[in-house]
Amino acid sequence: MELIDVKDLSKRFGGIIALSDATFSARAGEVHALLGENGAGKSTFIQILSGALRYDSGAIHVGGSEYRPQNPDAAQSLGIAAVFQELSLIPDLTVEENIWFRHEPLTWFGTTCRKRMRAATLELFDRYHFPAIRPDRELRHMTLAERQIVEIAKALAKNPRILILDEATSALPAIEADWLLKLSRQIAEEGRLSIFISHRMGEVRAVADRLTIFRNGSTVAVHEAKAVSDDQIVTEMIGRQLDRLYPVRTASRTERLALEVRGLSSGHRLRDATFALYEGEVLGVGGLQGHGQRELLQALFGAAPSKGDMKLWGKPVSPSSPRDALTGRDGIALVPEDRRGQGLLLPKSVSENLTLSVIRRFSRGGLLDKQQEAGLVREMVDFLRIKADTPDQPVGTLSGGNQQKVVFGKMLLTEARVLLLYDPTRGVDVGTKGEIFRLIRDLAAKGYAILFYSSDLPELVHVADRVLVLREGAIAATLSGDEITEEAILSAAVLDKAA
Amino acid sequence: MTMAETGDAPRKGLRNGLLDNAPFLVACAMLTLIVVIYGTRQTGVFTLDELNLNTTAAMTLMLAATGQTIVLLRGGINLSIGGMISLGTVIVATRFGDSAGSVILWSGLVLLLGIAVGVANGLLISIFRLQPFLVTLATWSILNGVAMIILPSDGGRVPGWWLGFGYLQFLGLSSTVWMLIALLIFWAWFMAARPGITIKATGSNEKSAFLSGVSILRVNALTYGLSGFFAAAAALYLTTQTGAGSPTIGRDYILPSVAAAVIGGTSLFGGRGHLAGTIIGAYILTLIGNLVFILRVSSYWQPVASGVILLIAVLASAIAEKAARKQAA
Amino acid sequence: MNRFLARNRLILLAYAGVVVLLLVTALFSPGFLSPANLRSTLVLAAFVGIVAFGQTFVIIGGGIDLSIPWVLNCAALLLTMMAGGQDLALIWAIPLLLAGGAAIGFLNGAGVAIFGVPPIIMTLAVNVILQGLILVYTGGSPTPSTPALIKFLAVGRVGPIPVIGLVWVALGIVATVLLSKSAFGRHLYALGTSATVAEFSGVPTARTTIITYMISGMTAALAGILLTGYSGVAYLGMGDAYLFTSVAAVAIGGASILGGSGHYLGTVAGALVLTILTGLLPALNLSNGALLVVYGAVILVTVSISSETWGVLFQHLRPPAREKQGETSG
Repeated sequence: MELIDVKDLSKRFGGIIALSDATFSARAGEVHALLGENGAGKSTFIQILSGALRYDSGAIHVGGSEYRPQNPDAAQSLGIAAVFQELSLIPDLTVEENIWFRHEPLTWFGTTCRKRMRAATLELFDRYHFPAIRPDRELRHMTLAERQIVEIAKALAKNPRILILDEATSALPAIEADWLLKLSRQIAEEGRLSIFISHRMGEVRAVADRLTIFRNGSTVAVHEAKAVSDDQIVTEMIGRQLDRLYPVRTASRTERLALEVRGLSSGHRLRDATFALYEGEVLGVGGLQGHGQRELLQALFGAAPSKGDMKLWGKPVSPSSPRDALTGRDGIALVPEDRRGQGLLLPKSVSENLTLSVIRRFSRGGLLDKQQEAGLVREMVDFLRIKADTPDQPVGTLSGGNQQKVVFGKMLLTEARVLLLYDPTRGVDVGTKGEIFRLIRDLAAKGYAILFYSSDLPELVHVADRVLVLREGAIAATLSGDEITEEAILSAAVLDKAA
Repeated sequence: MTMAETGDAPRKGLRNGLLDNAPFLVACAMLTLIVVIYGTRQTGVFTLDELNLNTTAAMTLMLAATGQTIVLLRGGINLSIGGMISLGTVIVATRFGDSAGSVILWSGLVLLLGIAVGVANGLLISIFRLQPFLVTLATWSILNGVAMIILPSDGGRVPGWWLGFGYLQFLGLSSTVWMLIALLIFWAWFMAARPGITIKATGSNEKSAFLSGVSILRVNALTYGLSGFFAAAAALYLTTQTGAGSPTIGRDYILPSVAAAVIGGTSLFGGRGHLAGTIIGAYILTLIGNLVFILRVSSYWQPVASGVILLIAVLASAIAEKAARKQAA
Repeated sequence: MNRFLARNRLILLAYAGVVVLLLVTALFSPGFLSPANLRSTLVLAAFVGIVAFGQTFVIIGGGIDLSIPWVLNCAALLLTMMAGGQDLALIWAIPLLLAGGAAIGFLNGAGVAIFGVPPIIMTLAVNVILQGLILVYTGGSPTPSTPALIKFLAVGRVGPIPVIGLVWVALGIVATVLLSKSAFGRHLYALGTSATVAEFSGVPTARTTIITYMISGMTAALAGILLTGYSGVAYLGMGDAYLFTSVAAVAIGGASILGGSGHYLGTVAGALVLTILTGLLPALNLSNGALLVVYGAVILVTVSISSETWGVLFQHLRPPAREKQGETSG
């Protein structure tokens, strides 16, 4: 018995087709994974199911009856609840107010009944074995991972027949991610449907019964999870054989110190970090999320206040703003965590974005030399193979992968040879991921020194020369050569004693 | 270590609470200071009469600022409050007859007009996705223009009994103090009920509210409709004080209504604020006038003082915001 | 230039509006297109344009300057008091007042950029404080008359062209160079589009913000100085009308009040629209009240034109655009 059955679903945004004749069906009692590159149409599909978007043509049946959601309320009343990648939480409400938002238990006066709300919250937490969270905290004081958990609670509070988890594990530390996988199974075992979207192949394999693969807005395959290999999935996702996701690692490290950090602390999350980064080296940064990686990279870039000593190419520096860090060849450049919020001016052109950090360089007596600028932009677009119609195209209209390439281009144009990369493949399709890894190794070979944080362990294993593992804001282990394995990184990140 | 262990100790919670409410606490401190200065220079400050008198003086601003607080909580701003107040007083002064029936009829119509104009603001903002600042700037101009067409200069008349409203007393408290109490009760109820929570939530994060099933169109219509209602109420009350209509008087309430809310700790970014703070802000702005008078300095110091108080209030909230962010980091 | 216009359709529309308005006005009041009348319209528009110069920069940078009225008013009052009707005193009075305007702008900018005070509140507070201070200082008394040189700048002519028109053209060129041809302009648009992205890109965000408010303070002071020449005296409240018109001119000129877009060339069109309307309504026998109604309606119409909602409403009427696969995000 199919609980949800989607036929020939199409959706376009202006001239861009997001979904074309996509099909999808899943039954109650299973965990069904939905896979696809970025831009394959997964998010659009989920947004349609949850009523946040309307579709153009096609048919959706839920529990046998036709379903045409006009708004998120319609989806909720049919028992569909989505945990969005972009959270749907209200910063100025408390945890429980968020969970029951618009479904608060009411008193006779129409006001919220706090007592019943608290009881319901605790019952919910108990039933699904939630990690401990105080129900009366305001959301804006909480970390991303904690908020993600509240988001899950909010979806479950509606007691849905269909629970959609859209990349819900990506913001969670390992233990909580593990809990979420168990939760998906629990939903399935209770006879409900859990639709699971993740870029992490390991998780998909661990939890899914079946999987559907989207490419270019259409469904290309449906598999029993046990009956299909990783290679086949990847091939179907990208529509061609991936040459090799990870490039060959050739040792390019020299003995010249690029960046020397001694006793660096920042906020509550980074304590006393000491390490060195050499010319031609890719130094990985690992650890559970929220253990100081953001603070480390932002402190080095001058975007967060810090204490400690820093030497760049032998010279002491103490950047107090990104401006201090972006000082040309002797400086540091960052690929920031939040591409859309920190990296790019979405409505502005590819060209304006690429040259934003170095626009002064084209100034001749106060006027910009636009020809020189256009020349450099063209070189960078060609070098990184950025797919844009013209350099005047707004960056916001590019795909996630191409947007990330623009961020890289912007950073390379600064000519800084110490590069900080914060999870540069997050939200990037598999094809572009491969290009980014190759680029990282190529840059190292050219003598760049690269600090590379990734939330995806295999990336660290295959791309980095050495890996620093952070735990509770301190460097718990430094791994190099054959020591770099997923197990070693994880155990150093979790255990008290370094593996 | 799991996330749960990184959770907050009670002390951090207290500190967050203090930081969150810093602007409100600063407002309370400023009001206390003003009252104390006032009290040392003048006898009879700490009497009910004085409370009645000042509340009656501040009520127009309080009503206007209530309408502004609702919109600010939603993350918008309403400049058309000024136009609505002008238009309201002009309608009252030109249409009110001497009979109670006429007064009730036209009062009702003014309030309805306020709601209608507000709803129109809300619809324009959501349907065309426009900036509240510009939309309400435009509607302010339009309402003001209509007021000038109806009554080109100050004038008109109201029934004599309408004038004394603010000085009526019940159980020793003036009608305005009772109005204030009613306002605060309304607010407490409203913010605990779904419409209020929804307005606050939408101001806090519009996208999230939408994803949670909130109709942005309806929230905006409700927010600006209520705001228009309170502006119209402010206009009605104002005519009980002035006894005349004025096509330009509303201008005097636009920015002070924002200032009263901000001094009381309402955030311009939406999602945070409380009517109690706004009321305190309105008292501060009103008492400054008295203070300037009893200190026997030029009355021109009054705008300087209110500007400085506004700056102190926003600086306090900006500094608290920074400290809170540091805390979170 | 073509690319500029393609990206700034709204500016073109604003100019189209100017032309239409001129024609309509000519229809109702045949004398309107006489050189004398056009000249006086240009002079009035120039005042709006000069005040809105700084407002344009501030709004592109994502802020708003509500302190313009009393910066303008203070400059006007202080000029007449300092100069006492003598041209010679202008040598030091004008630079001093422009610097004073810039200093007030610095205060505004520092409050916004360094202390994080919302621009509406910061500039509002400064406006009220200036109002009070100048009232205290002058005691509300009338001031001496304007020096002859200022009168020449405000209402004089070089051949057929008003001097202030030339001042305005010069400002237009300066603005275009700053916005379209300089690194500062790029920084400014970046700042207005996203302060965080600008900060992460090494843009000197605080400095850029402060400069925009300093420009605004300076042009407000300049407008105040020139206005004394137009009206012959400085009086209290002379700047009040310019708060509304400066914001309206920028908005009608196609800038987003959220920052990151717009251009001074658009503001110029906005200033012309507002001024021609002021001339049109008496011709139609309409009152001041009607003018305010029309102002409001014009703002609503122009800002709605830029709304994407029209696209959504009419998308079904348009032929489908060329299809492009797989380029959406997610």
